[in-house]
Amino acid sequence: MKVAPTLEGGLRIDPETAEDWHVLRAILIDAIGHDTDLATRLGGMVTDERVAEDWRDFVVPDLRESFADDLNQIQAAIETAAAFPKDGESPIWITRDDAFSWYSALNQARLALEEKYGFGPDPESDPSNLQPVRHEALLRSQFYCALQSFLLRHAL
Amino acid sequence: MPDTTTLTETKTSVSPQPPWNVIVHDDPVNLMGYVTYVLMKIFGYNENFATKLMLQVHQQGLSIVWSGELEKAEFYVQQLQFHQLKTSLEQAE
Repeated sequence: MKVAPTLEGGLRIDPETAEDWHVLRAILIDAIGHDTDLATRLGGMVTDERVAEDWRDFVVPDLRESFADDLNQIQAAIETAAAFPKDGESPIWITRDDAFSWYSALNQARLALEEKYGFGPDPESDPSNLQPVRHEALLRSQFYCALQSFLLRHAL
Repeated sequence: MPDTTTLTETKTSVSPQPPWNVIVHDDPVNLMGYVTYVLMKIFGYNENFATKLMLQVHQQGLSIVWSGELEKAEFYVQQLQFHQLKTSLEQAE
């Protein structure tokens, strides 16, 4: 897979293999793959009884909807690129306007993986010590992080 | 006997409510540059100040990033949570 900045201040992702498409689609699976969704976990940070009930009733649903919209947007971008290749290429274009949705989706995926596997700030330095499923999750998390760094540097 | 007039002056003092603190907590996922970017975007802080707050979050586990009235504090917490930062809201003691 190639990732490069565009002149317009966005990014271009060029998936080259079936594995590349698999890891891009995994963003969506990882992001929703936790028992308690991100909106609920974030909303649970507001515990003062004078505020908490309104937070649960009004803010958390808005957060949930916003996070779902971000995932839907990147799913559409991935599947549209996959469905309509041009000259043997299927680039995914991330404009400045799309950048936050991508960052959000990648963050949702990384937060969910962190909740599930607890890699921490210094994950296992020798991946051969990891179980295969955990190892794959760590690699995906590191790939998502690299993509986020690109977005932060070039598109946000 | 001279006329006397009594003047009564009433002073009402209202003790101000303690402010509400917007607190960002550390987490192992959000990138340091992203936290700085979000603090600049939401509060309009300059890069130096936003970086200082981000480093407090990173090194001390949390940072009070804004204090003031409840309504505004709620707005800021909501915005920070929309940006997926772990944020809480507490009234100062």
